[in-house]
Amino acid sequence: MEAINSAREIMGSLDEQHYVADEELATVLFLLLRMHKPLLLEGPPGVGKTEVALVLSQLLNTRLIRLQCYEGLDVSAAVYEWNYQKQLLGIKLQEHTPLSVEEKEHHIFSHEYLLTRPLLQSIMEKERAPVLLIDELDRSDEEFEAFLLELLSVFQITIPELGTVKAKYKPYVILTSNRTRELSDALKRRCLYHWIDYPDFEKEKTIVRKKLPGIEQQLLEQVVGHVQAFREKKLAKIPGVSETIDWAESLMTLGFREVSSKAFEQTLGSVLKSMEDISQAKAEFVPGP
Amino acid sequence: MKHQAFGTKSITESVVAFMQFARGHGLNIGIGETQEALFCASQDLIQNRKAFTYALKAICCTSPEERKVFDQLFLLFWDSNPLDQQDQKNRTLLQGLVQKNTNASLVLLGHGSTDPRTTEGKSFSGASRTERLKKTDLAMLTQIEAELLEKISEKLFRQMAVRLHRRRKMDQGNGPVNLRRTIRGSIAFGGEPMELFHRTRSPRKRRLVVFLDVSGSMDKYSVFLLRFIYALRKHFRQMEAFVFSTSLIRISKGLQQRRVDWVLNHITERADNWSSGTRIGECFREFNVVYGKRIMNGAPTVLVMSDGLDTGDPPLLLAEMKQLKKRAKQIVWLNPLKGMKGYVPEAKGMKAALGVIDDFRSAHTLDSLLELENILADA
Repeated sequence: MEAINSAREIMGSLDEQHYVADEELATVLFLLLRMHKPLLLEGPPGVGKTEVALVLSQLLNTRLIRLQCYEGLDVSAAVYEWNYQKQLLGIKLQEHTPLSVEEKEHHIFSHEYLLTRPLLQSIMEKERAPVLLIDELDRSDEEFEAFLLELLSVFQITIPELGTVKAKYKPYVILTSNRTRELSDALKRRCLYHWIDYPDFEKEKTIVRKKLPGIEQQLLEQVVGHVQAFREKKLAKIPGVSETIDWAESLMTLGFREVSSKAFEQTLGSVLKSMEDISQAKAEFVPGP
Repeated sequence: MKHQAFGTKSITESVVAFMQFARGHGLNIGIGETQEALFCASQDLIQNRKAFTYALKAICCTSPEERKVFDQLFLLFWDSNPLDQQDQKNRTLLQGLVQKNTNASLVLLGHGSTDPRTTEGKSFSGASRTERLKKTDLAMLTQIEAELLEKISEKLFRQMAVRLHRRRKMDQGNGPVNLRRTIRGSIAFGGEPMELFHRTRSPRKRRLVVFLDVSGSMDKYSVFLLRFIYALRKHFRQMEAFVFSTSLIRISKGLQQRRVDWVLNHITERADNWSSGTRIGECFREFNVVYGKRIMNGAPTVLVMSDGLDTGDPPLLLAEMKQLKKRAKQIVWLNPLKGMKGYVPEAKGMKAALGVIDDFRSAHTLDSLLELENILADA
């Protein structure tokens, strides 16, 4: 992996991978690499926070390890778990061998019987530092945050039966959050912080065009124009960029070349996801230029 | 404290001065952040002004609100002309975001006249006086009785919090089998799990959203209700509290940081400036629009403490409450007026809301607050 020397290089690489980033995000990623500090990305859903990690792992030509958070996420699902079935079998098989109890125990609790989960995997990489993506951290609870905080400062995990596992290569950590609750201050201060907001008209057009290179100019402008207008209204579920891309794709698949009222009716479900929003949008629909 | 880069003599000094300047305006910046800022400067990021701004922003801010303030602070510090600025020692030039730490002592609100007659010459013993006080309507207390009740209630609320905790723990029972411990224990027995170990279930804490009416008609109750809410904060995983009258204020942070008294002072000062007339529907609409998405997660229990007297629009109140109900587990409305004999909700707003409320109770005495224990245990 060649060393990255500036934010500009990062912008160029992101562009090559069809991720539209602004200079600020590139600078923050540069800091992530240089300072080796975790990065917390907050923003409304559907703006490309998770994609940043994917793109970064490709840029660095390294593995992406992903941990999806949810309420009740605990150590056994996030760090490691013992393979109980295998252990039970192993014990049975060992039963009549002339080993002492300590030796048997040592064998049963060895790496062979250990199921590693994302957090442990991220510190066991042998060749180069991976990218660790902790997705939707706001869905987990405070206990998990506290555990994570400790892990992010020392990058080592103690397994009682095995010993301490230390990271040979510290992973690059990206945390994402949809801000459905406030994360603890301690965790936020441990990380670089960046807020990704909905893109403006021009940026969103560029993003859609990158994902759907065959799209026609008129359709593109109408679709993006409509979505930008939706975001101004008080909808129950504001569409993100992924919804815009989905809508454009469905329109193209159905062969529409502009957003007529027929097209609108048929495809609105790919961009708006609640009945009230859909009825409101249909009522207020004005055909684009 | 320097207010501009103009007054500094080296890059290091100016960066450090800027971090201090930002800290003075409420951003949470410590020595670690300053060191990181200097590290960025050493990495040549300082050559490009924009890049340096971005880098510092990522280090210093922890929310979108802070980021907005940061932009202004940056301009103010690095760009302003010294001739335009007066030399202001330790004055914050921008409206800060974070409230400063104040230690206000408790001030009881509007409890009528101190009437020494009622406390002297009584031959009640301590216990029966407590009982009597617990049943007294909060609006009818004298200053001295109110202070006494404060002490009693503190103790009782604490006991209630402990009971709630114990009830929840006992409810749980054993969790699923802890295979790992069981297997380890079975090795000595050749693999037969002679003893089963269980996992302890972790308590599923619930979420609570509280709305407290602090308009003039409710001010005598607000103190106690606020203390009640405060005493419960440990029991809930997430507790958000809002006070409202003509508009909505979020006080969750104040509660978390044990600044109950500061909060009370703060809102009563503002309450004096508010024109009369509660507008409950408008306040709920403000909540739904501004905070709804962030806070109404995980089906919280919604507690509304208000007498329902409002000058707002009843259909609006009903619509907004229906919106709340969609994502709430239950809505409980506490109305001090309900304690009065023969009270029937006549106010249009209150009447309209009754259709959506799951539990309608009074909250006019200490006893009635303690009765909420059952609802909160199931919350």
